[in-house]
Amino acid sequence: MSGEPLAQGTSRRGGSLRGAGPMRRGDALADLGFTEVPTTQDGGADTMRPGALRGAARGRNLDGLAHALFLRLSPVIAAVVLATQVVIAWVNYGDQIRIEGVRAQMMADMTARALARPGWATAYDPQLQALALDPAFRYAVLRDASGSMVGRLGEEPRGRNFERIQVSAEINPGPADQPAGSLTLALSAEGLRANAEKQFVMVLGASLALILAFALALRLAVGRHVLAPLRRLLSAMGQVEHKEWVTVDLAGRHRPSREIADISAAFNRMVEGLRSGDEARHLLAELERTHARLAEANGLVMESLGYARRIQQAVLPGANALREAGLEVAVLWEPLHVVGGDYYWLEEIDGLGIVVVADCTGHGVPGAFLTLIVATALDRILHDQGLRRPEAILAALDGVVRARLRQDAGASGGAPDGSDDGLDCGICVIDRASGTLDFAGAGLALTMLVDGEITRIKGRRHGLGYRRTGREEALAGTTVRLRDGQTFFLMTDGVSDQMGGMSRRLLGHRGVAEILGRHRDLPLAEQVAALETALAVHRGAEPCRDDMALVAFRPTMG
Amino acid sequence: MDRIQIPATSRSPLVDFDFPAGRLLLRGESYPEDAAAFYGPLLQALRACLDEEGGPLIVDVALSYFNSSSAKALMNLFMPLEDAAEEGREVTIRWLYAQGDDTIAEAGEDFAADFSHARFEMVQETAA
Repeated sequence: MSGEPLAQGTSRRGGSLRGAGPMRRGDALADLGFTEVPTTQDGGADTMRPGALRGAARGRNLDGLAHALFLRLSPVIAAVVLATQVVIAWVNYGDQIRIEGVRAQMMADMTARALARPGWATAYDPQLQALALDPAFRYAVLRDASGSMVGRLGEEPRGRNFERIQVSAEINPGPADQPAGSLTLALSAEGLRANAEKQFVMVLGASLALILAFALALRLAVGRHVLAPLRRLLSAMGQVEHKEWVTVDLAGRHRPSREIADISAAFNRMVEGLRSGDEARHLLAELERTHARLAEANGLVMESLGYARRIQQAVLPGANALREAGLEVAVLWEPLHVVGGDYYWLEEIDGLGIVVVADCTGHGVPGAFLTLIVATALDRILHDQGLRRPEAILAALDGVVRARLRQDAGASGGAPDGSDDGLDCGICVIDRASGTLDFAGAGLALTMLVDGEITRIKGRRHGLGYRRTGREEALAGTTVRLRDGQTFFLMTDGVSDQMGGMSRRLLGHRGVAEILGRHRDLPLAEQVAALETALAVHRGAEPCRDDMALVAFRPTMG
Repeated sequence: MDRIQIPATSRSPLVDFDFPAGRLLLRGESYPEDAAAFYGPLLQALRACLDEEGGPLIVDVALSYFNSSSAKALMNLFMPLEDAAEEGREVTIRWLYAQGDDTIAEAGEDFAADFSHARFEMVQETAA
């Protein structure tokens, strides 16, 4: 029977409308290409773990989002569309059944009316044949008043009665002599059911097509404008996690949705901020490394210079070296750069006090080299050659320096890039026995303080050494008679060349003389200390310009 | 001969040797670590300039401090100037010093003694 499968189908599909739905996860959607994914909770836990962005960046969890969206929405839409269409179909079907019933009744009535004439019980055939013309006709039976069958057409149907429409009509011929009867007509309802079934299948098909179209459109739109940009964002985040400062391109062919565009723009700004912060950190770290290297290099140089200073100080004589010669001595020696080119020599030889102050060109290590040449030369001049006249000592020193530095090598005074170095030098030879002081200077003057009065005895203008220019003056000595109250100073130009003061100019030897005069009543050592303090006051914030060396001496009483 | 212009540093003076105009200027402080390296090229340029025929030369030196190496370098600059003046070139050295700066004034007087053919003028500058 064709009715049976239909009844089963209706009951099965009807169940789907009331229940949770026949579309379990994975049947229809799986056909659309969606695959099983981990649950959202798992995905959330993943992103909490450090480094989890790498997995997330591959987009699995984004597919999870899409799936969740489609799986929740699609059954609801499918159920609503199906329910609506099935209710409409059901109502339609009911109407059809009712109209068909009315038509069947009308046909039965019309045939019964047509039969209602005498002798109907024998002449019924044409009317029954007319009924059989109806395509839905299944079966008709005529019965007389006693209920016994008079005639029939078609096969008597079996089975449930909802597969057919069955109506009856009374046959009433009118006159009492004519027996009455009844006509029973059965029409098939199969056509109607087939129609309803067709309609249902069409509705189902349309619903599926709708869901498919919806799912595809949603997936395409979400994929292009949400998932792909999110995937790009996540991938960029993964790279940023590893300090690759990439930004997200917002201009692509498929523009991201507004919210994601906003997030991406914020992300890009954050990356720019991180990048510049990272660069600044790198620069700072680089700077710190460089600084550490410089500090180490500087430490080595300073250590080396400290060692050099100990050597240079060892070469310098002690301040009491001239006690035997009857001289009180105070010394100020302060190289600009730990070691320097200023040098002094104090020695008592055969009762003579010899004071030498030299200012070699340059300061620091180059100056210190020259002081060692001067020290060696003085040793030879004073002890080997036995010279005692200051101008003779200067001349000899000049010769040794030129020879040592090969300044007289070429006809034009040495190679063009050879040494053009030398020194300013002042020498005093004090003879307590004869009460005289002999002085000779080359670029270095003798300052004499007597009863608050300053006298300055200049030597030759040009120093010793240097390439010959042919303009050098001759070296000459000056003799000063010793008497009480005299204090002598030999000092390098570093002492008087103190830049500073209100007008920011050099203190000059007049300024130094004024300071010395102010403190003339102090013991010699304190006088020198006072000068040093006053020089620092004059300099103020200005740095020292040169090495400083000063030897102060006065004949001791008695 | 090109013009040489070197800006001043804390340890070296402003140099403006405008050879075409015959105006040379040193102004500032001079105590470079290596005076020979600083003044060597200037001396060469000056010599080259003096070797060429040219008009009068005015050299302004306005140093507020110079160390002994720089003093030696200045002397080396002045010598060819004096030689050129001896050979007939009109050379004027103007030694500029601040009012009351005895040290620089005295140093100028010392340098003046080296010149007999070139003009050496002491010019006192009043504080600006």
